[in-house]
This record gives sequence, C-alpha cells and structure tokens, in this order.
Amino acid sequence: MIAALIVTAAVLYAAFFGAGPLPALGAAFNPVTGAWTMAADASISSETLRLAGLDQPVKVTFESDGTAHIVAQTDHDLFLATGYVHARFRLFQMDLLRRQGEGRLSEVVGKAALDSDRFELQLGLLRTAQLEWNAASPRSREAGIAYAQGVNDRITEAEAAHQLPAMFTLLGYQPKPWAPIDSLIVKGDMTQTLNFTDTPLVMALLEKSLGADLTSQWFPILPPNPQSPYDPGPYPAQAPPAPIAAVSQVSDSEAVAAADVYQRLSSLPAGLVATGGDSNNWAVAGSRSTSGGALMAGDPHLHLTLPAIWYQLTMDSPGYHVSGVSIPGTPVILIGHNQHISWSLTDAQNQQTFFYLEHEDSAHPGQYLWNGAWKSYQTVSYDIPVLGGPTDHLTVKLSVHGPVITERGQTTSVWWAGNIPSQDLDVLMGIDQASDYQQFRDALRGWYSPTHNFVYADDKGNIGLISAGYYPQLGAGAQPWLPMAGTGEYDVAGTIPYDDIPQVYNPPDGIIWSANQRQVTADYPYYIGTASNFFDPGYRANEIHRVLSQGAKLSAADMMALQTDTRDYLASEMVPILLKALPSSASKDLLSTWDYRMEINSPAATIWWTFWQSYLAATFDPYWKSRDVKVARSELNDALGQDLEAWTLGDPTNSAFTYGGSSNTSSDVMRIAFTSTISTLTKQLGSDPNTWTWGRVHQRVIENLAQVTGLNYGPRPDRGDANTPLAAPNFPSSNGPSWRMVVDWGAGTFQAIYPGGQSENPASAWYDDRVNTWFDGKYAAMLTADQASGASGSKAWTLQP
Amino acid sequence: MRIVATVIVALIVSVAGVLAGAWWAPFVAGLVIGVMQPRARFAIPAGAGIGLLGWALPLAAVQIQYGAGSAAESLAAIMGFSHQAAIPVVLTLLVGTLLGLCGAWLGSAARSLVQPAPSR
Repeated sequence: MIAALIVTAAVLYAAFFGAGPLPALGAAFNPVTGAWTMAADASISSETLRLAGLDQPVKVTFESDGTAHIVAQTDHDLFLATGYVHARFRLFQMDLLRRQGEGRLSEVVGKAALDSDRFELQLGLLRTAQLEWNAASPRSREAGIAYAQGVNDRITEAEAAHQLPAMFTLLGYQPKPWAPIDSLIVKGDMTQTLNFTDTPLVMALLEKSLGADLTSQWFPILPPNPQSPYDPGPYPAQAPPAPIAAVSQVSDSEAVAAADVYQRLSSLPAGLVATGGDSNNWAVAGSRSTSGGALMAGDPHLHLTLPAIWYQLTMDSPGYHVSGVSIPGTPVILIGHNQHISWSLTDAQNQQTFFYLEHEDSAHPGQYLWNGAWKSYQTVSYDIPVLGGPTDHLTVKLSVHGPVITERGQTTSVWWAGNIPSQDLDVLMGIDQASDYQQFRDALRGWYSPTHNFVYADDKGNIGLISAGYYPQLGAGAQPWLPMAGTGEYDVAGTIPYDDIPQVYNPPDGIIWSANQRQVTADYPYYIGTASNFFDPGYRANEIHRVLSQGAKLSAADMMALQTDTRDYLASEMVPILLKALPSSASKDLLSTWDYRMEINSPAATIWWTFWQSYLAATFDPYWKSRDVKVARSELNDALGQDLEAWTLGDPTNSAFTYGGSSNTSSDVMRIAFTSTISTLTKQLGSDPNTWTWGRVHQRVIENLAQVTGLNYGPRPDRGDANTPLAAPNFPSSNGPSWRMVVDWGAGTFQAIYPGGQSENPASAWYDDRVNTWFDGKYAAMLTADQASGASGSKAWTLQP
Repeated sequence: MRIVATVIVALIVSVAGVLAGAWWAPFVAGLVIGVMQPRARFAIPAGAGIGLLGWALPLAAVQIQYGAGSAAESLAAIMGFSHQAAIPVVLTLLVGTLLGLCGAWLGSAARSLVQPAPSR
C-alpha cells in the first residue's frame, strides 16, 4: 500500500504540476487538449465562424501561403477581424511582445527574465503606453478597441475549444485578455529596439580610458569617410554643429555610473538596445523607369525570427484599402501600399537617447537640483511576479528627464524620445489612407519615435523620402554624445521644425535612397547625432546610390537584383589599395580577379572580410590594450572602420598607424594584417586559398522567437555581409532583410517576400514555408482580395456577427 | 464476461473522459478497476492497458484527422530531441499508461487493506 501511494503520488504530481524542467505532463501531453492540439491548429479549412462584436459579416480569404485578405463592410469590423486573424496565427508571439514591454516575462519563464522585466519597467514603456492611450484620437481608440475585441474573441474561442497555442500549454499559463494599451506596448517594443541607444555611455567610457583626444578624433560628429546623403540641401540658415571638443572630462563617479548602466544594458537580451541599423529603401521616378511609372523598393532589416515580426495581409473596408505587413499586436499595416501610394521605411538613426547626471546633495535627500531649485523625485512602484520565486518589488525614481537608470557612482537618468507620448497609431492609420504625397507628409507630421526614413512612390510617378520623427535640440553648449549635467541648462528644448528635417520630393535626378546613412551633408545646421554608432558607415547607401545613378532606365527586376546585391562597397574601395601594397601570392591573385561580391562560393570574399578585421585589429588593438579600454573594440568597428577607410584613402600616414613610435603607414599595417589573415585562414580552413569559400565561414540562421533551437531554420551558408545591400552581419547572421517589397506603379505590380511564414505553429505548413523562396531571392505577388479569392488553393472564412 | 465488460466500460469512460479534456480519466478508471477486481495481477495490467488505450486512441484520432507527424516533430524539437518524433509519442503513451497503472495499483492496494485477495 505504501509503495502504491508513493509511486502514485509521484506520478500524479508530475502529471498535475510537472517536475524540474518538465511541464505538467497530464495537461501538456493530453492528446486532445494538450500540446498535440498544434496538429489540429495547423489545419485550416474554409468555414463559417461566429465573432462577438461584429456589425456585419466579414470575409477572410487565405492564399495558399497563408496571406490573409480581410474584407469588411465597416472599418470597425475590419480592425476586429484583423485582431482575430492575428491572434489566430500569432497569439503566443503577441503575448510575448506585450509581456516584454510590460515587464511580465518573469511571470511565465521565471527569474531568468527578471533583469529584462526590471529594465523595461524602469525605462517606462508601460507608463508611456498608458499616457498615449489616455490621449488617443477617437479614430485610433476605435481601432484599438475593435482590434482588442477581435483578439479576445479568439482567446475565448481557443480556450473553449482547448486550442490555445501549444506554448501556452507547455509553459502552463493562459493569456490574459488583450487590452488596447497592449497594442501600444508592442509598438513601444519596436521603438526601443530601433532607437534606445547607449552611445553616450560608451563615449564616456572611451573618454575615460582611451582619452579625450583620441575619442574626439576617432569618434567625430560628422563622418570622416565619403558618404551619400540623400538630402543634399539647400538647408535653412543656421550655424552647423560644432565639432566634438577634446576638453570634456568625465569624472570618476560619472565613469562608474556609465560603466554600471553600460554593463547592465550589455547583459540584457539582444534586441532591447539599438545596436546600429540595417535597412534599405529607395525609389525611382517614372521618368527613370522602363515602365514609365515610379518604382519603389524597401527591405527593413531586423532580427530574423520564426515566427517573423511581420504578418502579411490586405485590409479592405469603406475607409481602408491597404496591403502589406503588420506587426502582430497592432491593428495597422506598417509597410505596404494602397490604391495610390506605396511606402517603406528604414531607421533614421538620429540620437533620441540622452543621459543626464542628476546633481544631488546629502542636505537634500531624495531630491535633485534642477533650474536652481531642489525637486523631489517622483516614484512609481511595481510588483513583478516571478515563476517559482517570490514577487519582486521595484521602485522607479523619475526626474524631469526621465527614469533614474542607476544610482551607482552618480545618479543618472535617461531621456528617451520613445517615452514621449505620441500618436503613432493614428499616424499609421493616416498613411494607410493617404492618396498623395501631401497627405502622406501631413500624416507623418505627428510621428515621433523611432525616427524613420519613410520612402514614398505613387501612381502619378512621384517619389519622396522624409525622415520623420523627433530630432531633439538641446540647450547651448550641450555635449549630447556624453552624459550631461541634469541641472537644466542642457535639457531637451525642442525638436527640429518639421519643414527643416531631412526630406526630398521629386529630386531632379529621379532617385532617392536611404540605408541608415546620415541623411544630410556637413552643411546641415542642426545636431542630429554623431558618426559613432548612430548612423551607418554608409557602404550600403553608397552601393545603392552607385547602382541607381548609372543612367540606364530601371525596372522592377533591377530593384530585386539590388535588394539581393552582394557587392561590398568598402571592399571595392580598399582592395585596389591593398593589392598595391602586397607582394605576389595565390591569395593576392584571388583578390585581384574578384568582383567584390560576397558570394557563398567566393574565397576572395573570405580573404577580404578576414583581412578587414585584421586591419582594424592591427591598427587599433594596441591602443585598446595599452589603455585598458572598457568597451570591446569590436563593438566600435563601424565607427573605427570609417576612420580606417578615410585614412587609407586619403591620409596613409595618419598617426594612428604609428603606435609605439613606429614609422608605419597604412600600407605597412595592411601588409601586417594580410599576413595575419593568411595565417588565420590557413589554420581555420586549410592551406589551399581556393577552398576558403565564404559559405564555409558565413552562415545564416533564423531563430525561433521562443529560443527553441530545434525550431530554428538553419544555420546554412549564405551570401552577403554587414556592408552589402543584402545585409548579413555577424557569424552566424541572424539579422537581415525581414521583408522585401518591390513596387512598379507603371506595370501595376507589387511583389514581396519575408523569411518566415504566417503561422507561429511549428507544425503548420505556414511556419517557415517562405524561407527558401526568400533565400533564393524570389518574390511572391501581393494579390488583392479579389485575386486571392480566385487563386488556386485559397480558403475562406466567413465571420458572422 | 463480467470482467471483460467492466474493462470495456472502463476503457470507454476513460477515452470519453480524455476526449472531454479530463486527461486524468484513465487514473480514475484504473482506480475503479483496482477496487472492483479482487486480483491485483489482473487489475494492474488491465489498468495499465486502459491508460495506454485511453490516451492512444485519442492520439490515433488526431493522427487520422489531422496528421500528427509534424506536431510530433515539433514537440520533439521543443523537448530538445530534434528529428526524433517518436519521443513525444512514447512519452504521451507512457503518461497514459502510468496514470491507468497507478490508479489500478492504488485501487488494488486499498482493496487489499479491507479485503485480502482470495486464495488460489
């Protein structure tokens, strides 16, 4: 009896509550209501469904690849149905996104996520979303409420049918109802990923260790290398920004504070802090296209995940006729086209994060000095439930600048544009409805953060590009690239007037382009950020500009070829100089016949990339080692690479090459680096340079969003690098073109692809069915709802009130 | 015949329970079998069989209706056993079997406390 009791108790405990890493086995593996429901969930058939809250019937047609086409008779029903469809295919992803922003990941995954939760609650996405919702326009309130109703309809339905996504079952929790504010949280996640930066902290650490002189020389405001700004001016009259001065001194306590925040941010999960951008977009006027209509191409580069950040759909109702991609959790299409205009976006990269050192005094506990008076910090308290542990209590202090981010060394608060309540949802609804550039531009007037380069093309042959968003302007004398005194004189005083921000419309040469490069020339009169870690080094932009400006008329096929272009612009500049510095060798021969394309089968691509890393190391590592710099040199390769490029092209005797009293020039250091390159590659790949193909060292992986490695796609060898239009940074690369879209208004064609699938269910055929097409550089037609209805393999839902 | 009928009824109840979401139904069915059947050497294997079939039949229904292969592969990947789809299937059947077996064992043990097993 005792043995029976003990064994039974153990089995029942494991079945009801799980054991160790195992979920509750009974609920999780129940063939009918457990994780096996992913089999039923993967099966989509034509059917009629009832949805609470609908006013009229709604038709949803699915193409054979899962692209959804929603046709509603009212705008309210359109947003409700969009919420339902999103939740039907991406509910777990949506829940993860809102939990991340709301600081509630620990509740379902345990203390491993506690640092992330504490940081998010400190930063304040939740507080901002609450303010945004309170001030939301009637239009966006209606959309948000209807969308939430649709999501909740699906949650109710799934719970009743025991068909919640399997990850809920395996993690042992159920999603709480969706609230409209959750959509604003999801939008806040994206803002943070793209625009919350730690660059001023990095600059403070550099100044403290590398020294003020080298920091100011090597990390200037204006890029030292040749770039291709898309807005060449003329600009409004105002003095351009002064160069970074070398006299600024970072105190010990400031350095402690900077190091504390920097270390903390570094330990957070990838994606919470912006680390440089990689996106492309461009447009060609009708006068320059073979079809006679405007061309537009866009490929935003993001962390590539399964499920993807995007869900493709068309939305049709009396007020909306729009096609493109949405972020699950939000009720609008972010990138796409309607009947008259198309648009895409890249990150504008201007500085939107500033750190302030609060002046405190032991005689004024709990206060800080601001504008000559002592002010008390506001405080907000949070309880963070932690799975398997006690609830964590967090109190956030707020100064006028924003949340206090550290109190070690020197109390430091952070001002971040993403914390300004904005009406970005309303802006996106305005874009979705715009029919010409004026309406498009007017809609963008209310866009704050993240600042984006919005490219535009329309059915009249017009093209435009506007870098919409908030460009903070600070008090005179401010050094925003470092943490600044929080006593008031350097506070954000406003933004660049909308008419003065970077923008062009129908330029004379008929082309516009952006790839995260600095948008304006040195004559631009406003401070928008430094070359270090805010703006891209510009190689992709240069290559795109080079191709577009070659003179011949361009077609949609040319746009696609450019989106998958693997030509490394930096290599095209550097390799000819390198060849002059090198003696004869087999490796040199490979480089001398190379077309600068980072293709899988190219050994020269491997030699070039390894050489460039060695060249950076040979030039800068001696300084890093001797001065014990606390920021990894590799983290600054974009900025240092611009310097090295500029010196190699025009200043080969720069003193940076002469570390330790040597008389080295760039050619000498190149030879040293090349010798190191050959040694490294021989050890890694063997003695025959012909076998050092890029695909052996460079791979791409598309990661499962829940970090289940068994559900990743890849890694597999892939082309491209960090500098090529087909961006593939890192090893293995997990960032890149998250959506490719090409529009030809003259031919009336709209084509796109993203690396993923419409469903988050790994058992679904729509989990990763688009990935191979994406790898192959192919596209799918963006159909209308009518076209989709007649397409083979399509299925349809009728949603009834 | 009465024994067979009892087992069949217990199996039907077990499967119906599982289909209704009561994944623990095989345990209850096994418990009843254990209490009702005086011989543990019969009751415990019967309980295990009821548990096995109680979960296997609904799983077979999933396979017939939707195809369970892709789900099995996905579950294996989530569990850290990529490309070994048999593991979640075996684990699922094992859970069902253990539930029925433990129910029957506990039932038999309880019965033996109040009514010793008949001699041969």
